[in-house]
Amino acid sequence: MDLKRFLINKLILFFMLSTLITVAVCLIGSAFDPDAQFGYKTMLAPIGYAALCMLPTFVTYSKKELSPKALLIRKAIMFALLEGVMMFIAFTSKVIDTSRIEVVLVIAGSILAIFVLVNLFVWLKDSAEAKKLNRDLEKFQELHR
Amino acid sequence: MNVHIEQIGKESEELVLIKCREITDEVREIESFVKSRQGSLTGVSEAGQCEIAVTDVCYIESVEGKTFLYTSDSVYETAYRIYELEEMLKNKHFLRISKPMLVNLMKIRSIQPAFNGRFTAQLGSGEKIIISRNYVKALKAALKGE
Repeated sequence: MDLKRFLINKLILFFMLSTLITVAVCLIGSAFDPDAQFGYKTMLAPIGYAALCMLPTFVTYSKKELSPKALLIRKAIMFALLEGVMMFIAFTSKVIDTSRIEVVLVIAGSILAIFVLVNLFVWLKDSAEAKKLNRDLEKFQELHR
Repeated sequence: MNVHIEQIGKESEELVLIKCREITDEVREIESFVKSRQGSLTGVSEAGQCEIAVTDVCYIESVEGKTFLYTSDSVYETAYRIYELEEMLKNKHFLRISKPMLVNLMKIRSIQPAFNGRFTAQLGSGEKIIISRNYVKALKAALKGE
């Protein structure tokens, strides 16, 4: 994949991650610390987290077309790095109570859920594209048969 | 080698005649090219050299410098390079779908999404081949006849 297309995909991913992290922070916060109050700057936190989460995604970049197996391995590495980044943020944050094991587990689970959701969205988009390709293929084959 | 082209009437049969002192690889290559323009390719299998109708070829793959023609039930090696076949067969519904592969669009049964934005083409034979994301745009254009 060329770098330009890779970066465009990363930008789309960044906005997807920002949204999903905002939802996750809202749900986790409501469950574990519903009375917490924040300033306006805190609203930028999910964007910052999403930006940090973008760094591990660069392990999937390759000029050559990766084999499905190689891609799967890189995705697994990327997921491990994502968990690492988010756990680092959680454990160095003053507002996240990482002494409670359930908080740590929910954060780890949220990262997994976001990872699955992002890949699901991408698959749904590709699936719609494949349907269109199949319709065009059918027309093409009918025309040239 | 001199090249002589003679225009004939509609009542006569068209013919390509090669006069040579020796049947060299170059002559075989010219023969193979002429046949490919007529809708067949020369390939070598375990059974020996034979002519394969272009319409029977499902896909063509280049592996470690060698080029193979895949039909629904056989594999043949050909002397052509993948880029030469791409040029020769572009008007016969063949399209490049990855760096080492050309596919006969008439042999694709369906297209499915694959991992990470790529697609898989399932052929009539049941075989699945990867469509690289770099070639998806060209595939879309070809299917629309652009």
